[in-house]
Amino acid sequence: MKNNIRVERAIKNITQADLAEQVGVSRQTINTIESNRYVPSTVLSLKIARVFGKPLEEIFMLEEGD
Amino acid sequence: MKTRFLFPYWFRYLGIACFLVHIPIMLFFTKYHNMDSTDTGLFTGSHVFFIFTTLMVTIGLFLFAFSKEKIEDEQIMQLRRDSLQWAVYFNYVVLITTLIFTEHMEISHIMLLNMWTLLLFFILRFQWVIFRLNWSAKKGD
Repeated sequence: MKNNIRVERAIKNITQADLAEQVGVSRQTINTIESNRYVPSTVLSLKIARVFGKPLEEIFMLEEGD
Repeated sequence: MKTRFLFPYWFRYLGIACFLVHIPIMLFFTKYHNMDSTDTGLFTGSHVFFIFTTLMVTIGLFLFAFSKEKIEDEQIMQLRRDSLQWAVYFNYVVLITTLIFTEHMEISHIMLLNMWTLLLFFILRFQWVIFRLNWSAKKGD
């Protein structure tokens, strides 16, 4: 699974720590999601999408082989 | 995040304290008391000492292993489960190998040690992955 959290963060001009605080996880978790090393749960994905005010599929998308 | 079956964060310090407390007691006792092997039976001096120190170590490891992290989230929970599975696998490999390669008389010692090895492997592996996680997050910025 891919995501463009990093891009969305840049548009909204917030840091990993800001986003982490808003969705209630550690900064390390946001970091690993951004670098595709951790796949978040549905609840966490929806929370992240809500912070950016966009539908889920504009932030997370499936890759070949998923 | 809601987490069940975990102790509060500060319990890890209680765990470390339990573990550290048993060391001076152990040193003192083994230096000044003769561990007499004829002293057998329930609740004799050496038996109480044995129970006390063994329990101290076990409870110490247990509290340290199963206390919450500072920020508890779903990734930490996943790492904890992974580490637990890894520790159980590793523990059984070690247990089976030692059972094969030791004499019959030493089995009770192995079983005693086995009480701690699972917790110990779990703690080592879990702390290691958390350390790596923090390190890579620091490097990622």
